[in-house]
Amino acid sequence: MTGTEDKEPRPETASKKGSATGRRGVSLDALRARAQQLSLREQLEREHFLLERLNATSTRLIQAVEQGQVFEAIGEIIGNLIGSEEVAIFEYHMVDQSFSLAWSTGVKEEVLQQFGLGAGFIGRAAHEGTSQFRDRLPGATLLFCETNLTACVALKLNREVIAVIVILGLLPQKNGLDWADFALLKFLETYGAVAVRLQNLREDSVNP
Amino acid sequence: MGSKKILLVDDSSTARLVTRMIFRQKSNYVLLSAVDGRDAVERARAEKPDLILMDVMMPRMTGLEACRVLKQDKETSSIPVILLTTRGEEAFVQEGYASGCSDYLTKPVNNTELLDLLKAYLGE
Repeated sequence: MTGTEDKEPRPETASKKGSATGRRGVSLDALRARAQQLSLREQLEREHFLLERLNATSTRLIQAVEQGQVFEAIGEIIGNLIGSEEVAIFEYHMVDQSFSLAWSTGVKEEVLQQFGLGAGFIGRAAHEGTSQFRDRLPGATLLFCETNLTACVALKLNREVIAVIVILGLLPQKNGLDWADFALLKFLETYGAVAVRLQNLREDSVNP
Repeated sequence: MGSKKILLVDDSSTARLVTRMIFRQKSNYVLLSAVDGRDAVERARAEKPDLILMDVMMPRMTGLEACRVLKQDKETSSIPVILLTTRGEEAFVQEGYASGCSDYLTKPVNNTELLDLLKAYLGE
């Protein structure tokens, strides 16, 4: 028993105040208070889990900069924390406004080539610098290669797009992205971009 | 009651990192790690953990193969193995149980589900 449970009004007290009581003598007010406590606890646990995931993400990105494996790390983060095994990451080159495939897993070659054109959702993510989520754009026209698309996440520093993560299908047990997934992807928008930029600077300094 | 030893097996350093962070709040668990099935079998024989938490898809030796090896070995057969799988479909789950695992969790792993399951096997 927790200390909080001890503070719940006893049935007799509640009855005197005129509250409805259940068959076992527990007042509805007490049940409501208990439900509220449980829901608050659940919410705290969810938020705590999100913080753990963000902490793991930032730690993994820092390790990856050192190892020169930022794109692989981002793919692993999407696979393990979001739940997708169909991911492609395109690096965006401002000079000629083109894309090049930096890393992918579980996506067919012909699909990857179409994404490389930079049209559709990925084009919008890169040119507007805003992440695109399929659920939030139900009426949008999709390219053939985007049929299975879940999200295009623009990694950016200020307004400059550094790369775009394309997430296609989610794992079968995932019904869609939830609030914690959106928060993690939002975090990746900035911290993923910082890691990519740091990796590029590091490579440039090693091979000037 | 002393600390319980858990052997975490995953080739993904991100997955190991997240699980470590989930366990950081639980001082009654000692977390050991291995990076693939073969490594897991060696560590399990050497360390005799109280429970093994193991990914299925790994290089060198998969979680299913490692589970079979552990269950055939007298020294490690009684250690409960919980498989972590990306596939929650019935056929995959059945294959997991056929390998001798005690339970399974689908990825991405939820901290509450994981801790509840560990509590069920290891106690408070």
